[in-house]
Amino acid sequence: MLTGYLIYGLINSVVLVLVALGFNLTFGISGVANFAFGALYVTAGFLAWIGLNTLSLPYWVSAPLAVLITAVLAGLLYRVVVLRVRGLVVSEVIATFGVGLALLELFRFLGFIGFEYTLPDAGDFSLSLLGVLVDSQRLLIVAMGAALTAFLWLFTRYTTTGRAFRAIAQDEHTALTLGINTERTATIAVAFGAGYAAIAALVILPLGTIAVNEGYNVLVNALAVCIVGGLGSTLGVIVASFLIGTAQTLTAAYLGTHWMMIVSLVAILLILLVRPSGLFGSHKQLEERI
Amino acid sequence: MSAEVILEVRDLAKSFGGVRAVDGISFSLKRNELMGVIGPNGSGKTTLVNLLSGFVKPDAGQVVYQGRGITGWAPYRIAEQGISRTFQMAKPFYQLPAFKNVVVPLISPRVKRLAGGAYGDRDAVAKDLLEEVGFERDSWVISKQASVLPHGYLKRLELARCLALRPDVLILDELFSGLSLAEVASLVPVIEKLMVQGKTIVMVEHRLKELFRIADRVIVLNFGQKIAEGEPEEVMVQDDVRKAYLGSEAED
Repeated sequence: MLTGYLIYGLINSVVLVLVALGFNLTFGISGVANFAFGALYVTAGFLAWIGLNTLSLPYWVSAPLAVLITAVLAGLLYRVVVLRVRGLVVSEVIATFGVGLALLELFRFLGFIGFEYTLPDAGDFSLSLLGVLVDSQRLLIVAMGAALTAFLWLFTRYTTTGRAFRAIAQDEHTALTLGINTERTATIAVAFGAGYAAIAALVILPLGTIAVNEGYNVLVNALAVCIVGGLGSTLGVIVASFLIGTAQTLTAAYLGTHWMMIVSLVAILLILLVRPSGLFGSHKQLEERI
Repeated sequence: MSAEVILEVRDLAKSFGGVRAVDGISFSLKRNELMGVIGPNGSGKTTLVNLLSGFVKPDAGQVVYQGRGITGWAPYRIAEQGISRTFQMAKPFYQLPAFKNVVVPLISPRVKRLAGGAYGDRDAVAKDLLEEVGFERDSWVISKQASVLPHGYLKRLELARCLALRPDVLILDELFSGLSLAEVASLVPVIEKLMVQGKTIVMVEHRLKELFRIADRVIVLNFGQKIAEGEPEEVMVQDDVRKAYLGSEAED
C-alpha cells in the first residue's frame, strides 16, 4: 500500500518538475514571473487537440506544432506586452496574469468544456514496479521529466544561447557590456519556458481531460515548487517537486483528493515564514532588498 | 602626431525627474588619449559613463564613435563596436570562477570576428589577461568563485573582462575606488601599458593624484555641466574647479 503511494508520489513529483521547469527557467533568466504560464500550458493542450481532431493532422505533426506555436505565443507576449512594463515587477505580474486570464477564459467562452477534450496516451502497456502497476503514460512522464531536465542542463552548459542564459541570470548589466543582446536572449528564454510547458502538457494531459481550470492549478503548482525550491534554482525545482509531490500524493491518499491543492499553498506559506529565498535560493538580492 | 578623433560627444543631456544629471556636455576624444573625468559626488560622472555605454538613453545630444552615430544604441551593440566599460561596483558573474568570467567575453561575436575564428585555448587567453592586470597566474585565486574574491581582485577582474573584448575605447568608472595605495600603485603601470598598446581610455576617478600622473587631459564636471577642461596641472588651479571641490567637501 505505502509502496504504491510512494511510487505514485514519485510520478506526481515528476509531473511537478515538468510543470515547474519552464516557469523557473523563464524567471531565472529574464526575471519575468510569467503568470500566463498555466494558460500557455492549457493552450498547448487545446492546440494539439485542434490539430488532431479539427484539422486531422497526425500526432507527430500536431504535437510539435502545438509546442512551437505555444513558444512563439509566449515570445510575442514578452515582446509586445512584457517589454513595455519591463522592470516594474508588479506590472509584469499583472500584465502576464491578465493575458493568461484572457486566454483561459477565451477557451471557456469558445466552448472548450467537456470530456471529449482529451489527448491520446501512450497505449495499453504497463510495468510492475515493486509490485505496483505503472501504466505507459506515467512511464513516459518520468522519462520525459528526466529527458527535459538533462536537456536543460546540457543546453545551458554547451550552447552559446544557453551560456548567455546563465550570464544574464547572474548579472544582466555585465552581460550587456560583453555584447550579449539581453532582450533577445530573454525573449528566447520566455519562449523556451513556454515550450517546456507545452511539452509538459502533451505528456501530462492524457491522464485526464484538457480543462480550463487546469491552467490555474498548474500555475499554483509551478509557483509553489519554484518558491519552495528557491526562484531560479533548477536543483531547487527538483527537490521541491519531490517534497511537494510526495506530500500531495500522501495527502490525497490519507485525507482525500480535495485536500491536494492545499499542500502547495501551505508549502508556500511555510517556506515564506521560515526561509523566504527558498531552499536553494541563490537570489541574494532578495535578502538585500529587505 | 595625428589627432584622429575617435569619440565625439555633442551637447549630451539627461534629466532624471527634475534633476539635470548631465546638462549639455561636449568633448572629443582622440585616439590613444587618456582623458580623466572628475567632479564632486553627484556631478554627473557615472551618468555620463552610462550614456556613453548605452545603459541610459540621452534626452538630447549626440555620440559619434569612429564617424558613426551611436546615440541611444543598446549597450550590447556599443560593446560590440568596441567601447567597453567597467562598473564602479564590480559586477562579476558571481557563480563563475574568476578566469571563467574572462572566458565569457572571449566567446562574444566581436572577439570571434577580430580573431578570425582562431582564438586558441580560451582558458589560457583568459589567464593571460588576468596576469596582465595583476593576478598571480599560478595562484589559487584565479580558480576561485568570483563571489569570494576580495575587493581588490574584483576590480582587476572588471578590467580584465573589459580587455577581453579587445576594445578600442575603455571607460573605467572609478577603477581605483576602494583600493589601497599599494593596489593603485600596481594598477597604474597596467594602465600605462594599455596606453602604449594604443588603447583610448576614459577614466572617471576620485583619486586625483594617481589620475593626474597618467591623464593627458581632464574634464571637470559640476551639476551636470563641464566647468573646465585641459591638462591636469592647469585645470586644478582654476578658481571654479577649486570651489566645486572644496565646496562639496565643506558640505560633506
